[in-house]
Amino acid sequence: MTTILSTKSLHKHFGGVLAVNDVNAEFKARQLRSIIGPNGAGKTTFINVITGKLPASSGAVVFQEQDVTNRPAHVLVRLGICRTFQITSIFMGLSVFENVRIAAQTEIGGSLRVFSAREGLKNVNTKTWEILHRLELKDKADVPSNNLAHGDQRLLEVAMALAGDPKILFLDEPTAGMSPAETEHIAQLIKGLTDTIAVVLVEHDMDVVMRISDEITVLDQGRIIAEGSPRTIQDNELVKEAYLGHG
Amino acid sequence: MSEMVTKRRSTHPMKIVALLIVVTCLTLFPFVVTNRFYISLVNEMLIYGLLAMSLDVLLGYTGLLSFMHNAYLGLGAYVVGLFLIHVAPSSLWLALLAGVVVTSVIALPVGWVQVRTGGLAFALLTLAFGMMFYTIVWKWYSLTGGDDGLMGVPHPDIQVLGITLGSSGNPTTMYLLSLCIVFICFLLTWRIIHSPFGAVLEAIRENEERASFVGINVRRYKLYGWMYACMLAGVSGGLFILYRGYIGPTTMSAFAGAGVLMMVLVGGMGSLWGPIVGAGIFIFMQDYISTMTEHWELFVGLVVIMLVLFLPRGFIGLGDYLTRFRKE
Ligand SMILES: Nc1ncnc2c1ncn2[C@@H]1O[C@H](COP(=O)(O)OP(=O)(O)OP(=O)(O)O)[C@@H](O)[C@H]1O
Ligand SMILES: [Mg+2]
Repeated sequence: MTTILSTKSLHKHFGGVLAVNDVNAEFKARQLRSIIGPNGAGKTTFINVITGKLPASSGAVVFQEQDVTNRPAHVLVRLGICRTFQITSIFMGLSVFENVRIAAQTEIGGSLRVFSAREGLKNVNTKTWEILHRLELKDKADVPSNNLAHGDQRLLEVAMALAGDPKILFLDEPTAGMSPAETEHIAQLIKGLTDTIAVVLVEHDMDVVMRISDEITVLDQGRIIAEGSPRTIQDNELVKEAYLGHG
Repeated sequence: MSEMVTKRRSTHPMKIVALLIVVTCLTLFPFVVTNRFYISLVNEMLIYGLLAMSLDVLLGYTGLLSFMHNAYLGLGAYVVGLFLIHVAPSSLWLALLAGVVVTSVIALPVGWVQVRTGGLAFALLTLAFGMMFYTIVWKWYSLTGGDDGLMGVPHPDIQVLGITLGSSGNPTTMYLLSLCIVFICFLLTWRIIHSPFGAVLEAIRENEERASFVGINVRRYKLYGWMYACMLAGVSGGLFILYRGYIGPTTMSAFAGAGVLMMVLVGGMGSLWGPIVGAGIFIFMQDYISTMTEHWELFVGLVVIMLVLFLPRGFIGLGDYLTRFRKE
């Protein structure tokens, strides 16, 4: 399998806190890699640096053999590096349809058309409906997204990320606050995505992680302490220690 | 499936009918009410309506707070005035064009700096730049007339396709010119707001971070929105100087800037006609109450406080309120 994105000795510190400490990671095409680790391990910060939300302190991010370290987020998204946030980030005042439509529009093009109606972008509409259909949000297309239930808002954010046609998708705790049924639905969905793209999943629900991951990376205090298949991670002493040590 | 999309957004025919009725009434107005005072009053409402509407493109559609949008009306007005005085006293269209172009040229570097920030920092920068322009205009006596203002601006004839429609010094002719241009700008802005480009501005208003994480170059689109708003402000400035024949630095003061902001808030942001209605109410209070008492600002303040308390969404909120009332 080909490596699609990798980090080379990536560092990020906040003052004296080393949130990401010399991380070398590889993400492969059509693979689901989970990143786990105790609270404050640096999982979110790691994603933030890769996706252009935060500048790296040192080190490099390489995407398809191209150095993309510290590129602005919108450039990375256009290259195919998309993400969702640990705290839901959607366009609250807009309808479900419009949330996904604007993401599709940015991907497909047409944002500089000032004299046509936004409904007129046929490809954008088709793609939007396709994604809403795939994520079973179609019936809620007209609902203002701030009226959605929490679980559907999380799902909507995944829909928006997918509309950007990602080659690699970072999901920061997508199941947080979801009901068991919703969690199951999104877990299946995430697994299905790896038919075409690479997925990086940060997740606290170990049941989900162990079931759907191809590979797992364990972070603790900004460092990778273990890597491997779900089975090897389950049996790893260092990992157990890290989780117990931090409660 | 695609039918659902078209249905969702189509403009209600009643809105088009209402717009046509309003425009017809406004067109007939100077022939029914021939009092020059009232014609000029409504003319000023239209001009400030255009300015308030352009501010709402920033505030209500892109989520950017500009404290001194009047600075760009002022710049447009001074440029058009200076053009008519020094360059070509009879070229009305050329003067208006110069006003828009020069205003845009000045607004570009300002916007370039401003869009690097957001929220409060953006708002403070608009204040800083606006006060800078105010001071320049106020102090550069030899060019602008300083405190005395720019006087003796000629009134060119209004010509369309070689046909002279009348002098811009004639209140009725000038009123009709303003109405025509404001109407065109309204339609243009309506078109832009509902375009794919308008959708990008809305996304930025709703959530800047998310906007950049769906691939939008937020700074660039903020700059586009800013430039459009300043161009329209430049147009309103051109109309302003043509109708008044005079402009002083107070038009560009922070106090006047707060007035434009109030027009938008009173009318209701996030709509195009709201700010125009807001400008109408504000100018009416200002001109009408000032004939009765010199403390008119006090009354304007009171009315604004009442509106904010009872119509928090502004005048457009009243429309929603009435339709809901009727349904129940
Ligand atoms: N913007 C910031 N400024 C300062 N410190 C930060 C910032 N973001 C994160 N940190 C610190 O960096 C460390 C890693 O935080 P991070 O949010 O990446 O952890 P995490 O693994 O995502 O945790 P969780 O499981 O709780 O989401 C923590 O010590 C945190 O306090
Ligand atoms: Mg986190």
